[in-house]
Amino acid sequence: MELLEIKHMKKGFDGLSVLEDISLSVKEGEVTSIIGPSGSGKSTLLRCATMLERMDGGELKYLGEAAAWEENGRCVYAEKQKLRRIRKHFGLVFQNFNLFPHYTVLKNITDAPVSVDKTPKKEAEERAMKLLRQLGLEDKKDAYPYQLSGGQQQRASIARALALQPKILFFDEPTSALDPELTGDVLKVIRELAKEHMTMIIVTHEMQFAKELSDRIIFMERGVIRSQGKPEEIFSSPDERVREFIGKFTG
Amino acid sequence: MTKWQRPLQRKDSGLVLSMGTFWGNGRKGMGTAMKMETIFFQLLKGMGATVEIFFLTLLFSLPLGLALAFCRMSRRKWLQGISKLYISVMRGTPLMLQLIVVYFSPYYIFGVKISAGYRFGAVILAFALNYAAYFAEIYRAGIASIPVGQYEAAKVLGYSRGQTFFKIILPQVVKRILPPVTNETITLVKDTSLAFVLAQAEMFTIAKQIAAKETSVTPLMAAGVFYYIFNLAVAGGMECLEKRLDYYR
Repeated sequence: MELLEIKHMKKGFDGLSVLEDISLSVKEGEVTSIIGPSGSGKSTLLRCATMLERMDGGELKYLGEAAAWEENGRCVYAEKQKLRRIRKHFGLVFQNFNLFPHYTVLKNITDAPVSVDKTPKKEAEERAMKLLRQLGLEDKKDAYPYQLSGGQQQRASIARALALQPKILFFDEPTSALDPELTGDVLKVIRELAKEHMTMIIVTHEMQFAKELSDRIIFMERGVIRSQGKPEEIFSSPDERVREFIGKFTG
Repeated sequence: MTKWQRPLQRKDSGLVLSMGTFWGNGRKGMGTAMKMETIFFQLLKGMGATVEIFFLTLLFSLPLGLALAFCRMSRRKWLQGISKLYISVMRGTPLMLQLIVVYFSPYYIFGVKISAGYRFGAVILAFALNYAAYFAEIYRAGIASIPVGQYEAAKVLGYSRGQTFFKIILPQVVKRILPPVTNETITLVKDTSLAFVLAQAEMFTIAKQIAAKETSVTPLMAAGVFYYIFNLAVAGGMECLEKRLDYYR
């Protein structure tokens, strides 16, 4: 079944078109990486898919349920209650973590399950501790975000997203704000999630990483998908522009 | 009153007389000078009203300021305009005048007879309305300083708008605005003395009365000491609060 379906997504800012016409669908267990130069619309695509940004046109569906569609040439979103339910299907990991600074790591992870999903506190904490153990942050549960390294903060924010048990997880350049030395821990966590067949869409500049773990790589440029396919297809693409771009990042 | 009994209006002799009392030199002061303790106790009684004005003003102006900040940041242009005008008038005219307007407007505008009991209410109302304007701007700056990523994270995690504001945003805002709020609060302590224009018997009103009666500045100086001590306590309390919020950055 298609977890996510995007059809003809369009988005512009102040008359400047950022997404021309993007169609994309993701099956359960699939790992998709989105690469491309800055300004190509990767992040906007992610922000429209996670409904942080309203798209101007097109269709957005999660598990067959429409979140947004076009009516008389205008983009219409489902009503609040329905959008709320649809939001539960996905999680998003931000480039700069966006942890809540006034909560401990544990509270960052348990607060949404408890106050949004009404999960009993004890259950939420057990789930959180299990995640923290998996992500190697067990001893940091009582720390505040400012006391953690960037890599630890990003892992905590991944735990926070996973605690709501989403069906699909988006990553917006999860290692771009990290020291090269710290990216390893985060990539390792994502790799492990891929092994467990977590459905993921990852915007990244880590070419080697994308190659090794993705089922599919999408190359975006100027608001359109210029090329997509299995990692080996993209890495040996007949399209010179794609090869040149990848070459720049893999050195 | 002879002219010698009104030294506060005559700098030359007045200062000599009052300093005499201030330094406790009985011979140079008035023969019937009030004892230091009596002044002290009278001022202390006035202090009760001062403290009451202070706390009641905070109690009403802090939430009112938050509501006003919401209006000021509203997407509705008319609401934005009204709150902007309100804040500008409240900040741009003397609080003393506002006290008078609040006290007399029921009579002049609605023809309602002003009862004696309204005096204290008018003082609190005027102070709360005035301070809400200042607090609104402090809240607004604080709310605007929270990174948009906090809202986005909360949204993706499914928090409602109310939950986002009260659980995620407001606690961080409070920490950030504590220093300017302390400033405003200290100003409020001193501003309570303006209640004298409505003859509200708070500390400064009493100090002035005694000063006039005794032809001495001692009560005024003593009142100054009281305000200073009160503010030490206020600043100390706020510092405590800041320390308690120091557990995160």
